[in-house]
Amino acid sequence: MEHKKKIQVKDLDFFYGENQVLYNINLDIPEKKVTALIGPSGCGKSTFLRCLNRMNDLIPGIKVRGKIILDGQDIYDTGVDVVKLRSKVGMVFQKPNPFPKSIFENVAYGFRIKGIKDKDFIDERVKTSLRMAGLWEEVHDRLSSSALGLSGGQQQRLCIARAVAVEPEVLLMDEPASALDPIATKKIEELIYELKKEFTIVIVTHNMQQAARVADYTAFFLMGKLIEFDKTENIFTSPRKKETEDYITGRFG
Amino acid sequence: MYTHLQQEILELRDLVLKMATRVKDALGMTIDAFSKMDANLAQEIIAGDDRINELEVRIDKTCLKLLALEAPVAKDLRFIIGCMRASIDLERMGDETANVAQATIVLSLKPILPFYSRLETMGQRSKTMLEKAIEAFFAPDPDLALNVCKMDCNVNELYSKIIKEIIEYMYNETPAIERSVYCINIARRFERISDLATNIAESAVFISRGINIKHYCQFDNRS
Repeated sequence: MEHKKKIQVKDLDFFYGENQVLYNINLDIPEKKVTALIGPSGCGKSTFLRCLNRMNDLIPGIKVRGKIILDGQDIYDTGVDVVKLRSKVGMVFQKPNPFPKSIFENVAYGFRIKGIKDKDFIDERVKTSLRMAGLWEEVHDRLSSSALGLSGGQQQRLCIARAVAVEPEVLLMDEPASALDPIATKKIEELIYELKKEFTIVIVTHNMQQAARVADYTAFFLMGKLIEFDKTENIFTSPRKKETEDYITGRFG
Repeated sequence: MYTHLQQEILELRDLVLKMATRVKDALGMTIDAFSKMDANLAQEIIAGDDRINELEVRIDKTCLKLLALEAPVAKDLRFIIGCMRASIDLERMGDETANVAQATIVLSLKPILPFYSRLETMGQRSKTMLEKAIEAFFAPDPDLALNVCKMDCNVNELYSKIIKEIIEYMYNETPAIERSVYCINIARRFERISDLATNIAESAVFISRGINIKHYCQFDNRS
C-alpha cells in the first residue's frame, strides 16, 4: 500500500454466538482516504464496519478474535476506553438519526456530554462542523429550529456535522445515502470527497457506482471473507478475482 | 439467464463481428482486384465502403448508450471500450482498402510492374494479421493477439524492402514513375492495415486481461 496505514486489521474472526460471520480478515485501511466495503447482503461488511469502533459490543453473545490496530493500539485490548474510541472513530448510519433537539444542539451534543461549557469554543466548533458538512449556508439563520424539520438529505448532513464536531480521526459510514434522493446523494458524495482531506473514511455501500465515485480503495466481501482489496480503479476496471468480477458485473448467483 | 446488459453486449458483439467480416472480405477482394488488375471489382470495393462506415456509426451509438445508461464495469466496460477502439480501426482499414482499390483502377490501365507480386504478398500478410486479430478479439485469446503484434515486424520489414526496390526501379525506369508512386502508396496502405490489425490485437489483450500492451508488445502486470 502506498499510503500510511490508519487501521490494520489482522486475522479478524467474528461470531454472533456460535455463528461465525467474519473469517480471517486481513486489511490495512489507509489514512485520509476513502475505503468502500462492498458485497451482497449478509456478506459481513456492516459487521466488519461496526467492529472498527466496537459498536458490535452492544450485541450480546458476540465473540471477536484477531486484532484491529488503530494508530498502534489494538482497540480490543482490555482497558481500552470504548467511549474515547468511539469519539475517535465516529459513525454515520443509513437512516438519518438527528436528536429531537435544535440544529445547534445536535451538533453541540458531543461537547455537552463531555461537560465542555466554553460557549465561544462550542459556537465556533458548531459553525465549523456545519460548514464541513456543507450545511452552514442552508441553516445558519435557523440554528435554534428543530433538526426534525430538515429534509432527509439535510438531516444526514447534520448527522455528519455532529459526527465531525468532536474531531474524530476515522469516520465510519453505513450506507449514508441509501435513503436519499439523487441530489441529496450527490451532496453527500461531494462531502465525502471533501471530508477525506481531514478524516479516514470507511463506507459501506450497496451502490456500486457510489463506491466507484467516492472511494480510493475498495474491499469486496463475500460470505464473511475478504475476497479482494485494491485501488477502486483496479477493482472496477480489472478485478483480479472472478468472484469480484461476477459480483460487480451483476453475474453473481 | 442473461442480464439486460449482457444481452445488449451480445448484440454489440454481433455488430462488431459483422463489421470485422465486411472489412476482412473487402481486404480479400482488394488483394484479388490488385493481383488481377480488375477495375470492376475495385469499383465494387469502393462502393462497399459505405456499408462499413454505417456499421461504425451504429457501433459508436450503441457503445455511447451502454456507457451512459448501464454504467458497465470490469470485463463489460473493457469489452465496450475494446469495441469502440476496434470499430475505429476497422473503419480506417475499410478506407485503406478503398484507397488501394482506387489505385488499382489507375494501375489497371497500364502494363504491370515487376514488384506487383511482392505487393500482393504484403497484402496477404496484412490480411492474415487481420484474420488472426479478429479471431483473438472474439475468442478472446491474448496469446494469439500477442502473436499478431509480433507479426507486424515482418510486415514492416517487407514494407521497407519493397519501398527500396520501387525507388531503385524508378531510377532506371522513368516512364514508370507514376505507377511506381501508386505502388508506394499501396505498400503504405497495406502497412497501415497491419498496424491497425495490431491495434485490434492489443484491444483483445485489453479486453481479456485488462492490461495495455500498446507500443511494447508484451504482457506485463497492471500497466
